[in-house]
Amino acid sequence: MVAIEDICDDEWAEWYRLTPQERWDRSQALWPTFLVLGGTLDAEPDTQSPFFDADTWSPLPPDGRPGVRVLRRSGI
Amino acid sequence: MGGQACVFYGAAEFSRDTDLAILSSPDNLECFRAALADLDAECIALPPFQAEYLLRGHAVHFRCHHPDAADMRIDIMSVMRGVAPFDVLWARRTTIQTTGGDEYDLLSLADLVQAKKTQRDKDWPMLRRLVEADYLQNRIRPTPDQLTFWLTELRTSVLLVELAVRHPELASGVARERHLLAFAVAGNQAAVEDALASEEGAERDVDRRYWQPLRAELEALRHRRP
Repeated sequence: MVAIEDICDDEWAEWYRLTPQERWDRSQALWPTFLVLGGTLDAEPDTQSPFFDADTWSPLPPDGRPGVRVLRRSGI
Repeated sequence: MGGQACVFYGAAEFSRDTDLAILSSPDNLECFRAALADLDAECIALPPFQAEYLLRGHAVHFRCHHPDAADMRIDIMSVMRGVAPFDVLWARRTTIQTTGGDEYDLLSLADLVQAKKTQRDKDWPMLRRLVEADYLQNRIRPTPDQLTFWLTELRTSVLLVELAVRHPELASGVARERHLLAFAVAGNQAAVEDALASEEGAERDVDRRYWQPLRAELEALRHRRP
C-alpha cells in the first residue's frame, strides 16, 4: 500500500490525517490571527478567472498596508 | 462551495472570499437580497444581480461593508459547467455543525470536484488533493460508490495504479469512459501521468470554449458601462 509520505511531505501528511472537522477548526482558528496582524478580507484578483474584470478589481494588499515601491535601483 | 469546502474535504486554500451556489428562484433571491442588506453588501462587478444572468451560468460578485465583514467578497453562482442542477446539489450536500452550533451546507465532494474542473491553474492541484485526501482516508474499507468515484476522479498516478491493480475488473469497466485506467491496470505509471496531463488539458479547453460566449456577453456589458 502506498504510504501517505510517499506522495506528499510531512506537513501535508499531517493535514490529510486530520478529520474534516479538525481541518475546518484549524482553518477557522487562523482567521483571528490573520485579522489581528492587519489582514484584509478583500480577495486578491484572480486573473485566470473567466469573470475577471481588470477595471473593477483593485484590492488592497493582503496585509492591508501600502505595497512595496522601488525607491532606488541600479541601471542594470 | 469554495475554499472552506476544500479545507473541509482535505485540500488547503487560504481563501478570503465566500463562494456560494444558490437557487435562482424569485423567493430565494429575495431572501439573499435581505442577507446582502444585513451585510451592507454591494454588487461590485458585472453582470448585475439578476436571475437571468445567474441562470445563464454567470457569477455575480459582491463586497460587504458591514464592520464585522468589512471588504469581504461574496461570489454567487447558480449554474456551473458540468455540475448537476441546484436541486440535485442540495439533495446530496454535506451539512456540518461547528462547535459553536453554526451549520454550513457544503457541496458534496463529488460535486465540488466537478466544479473545480476549470481553466484556472490553481484548481487542478486542489482537485488532486481533494480526491487524494478522500482516497487516503477511506481506502481501507471503501464502498462500491467510492471505488467508482476514485477510479473516475483520482489524479495521483501512483494511487491510480494501486487502486486499479487491486480492482482490475472494476477499473477495466470504468476504463471504457476513462481510457487512462488501462495504463493503470497494466501498472504503467508513466503512461498514466502523461494521460492525466492530456486529460487536464482537454478539460481546460472545454471550459474555455464554454466561457467564450459568456465572456463575450460580459465584454458587451462592460462596453455599455457608463
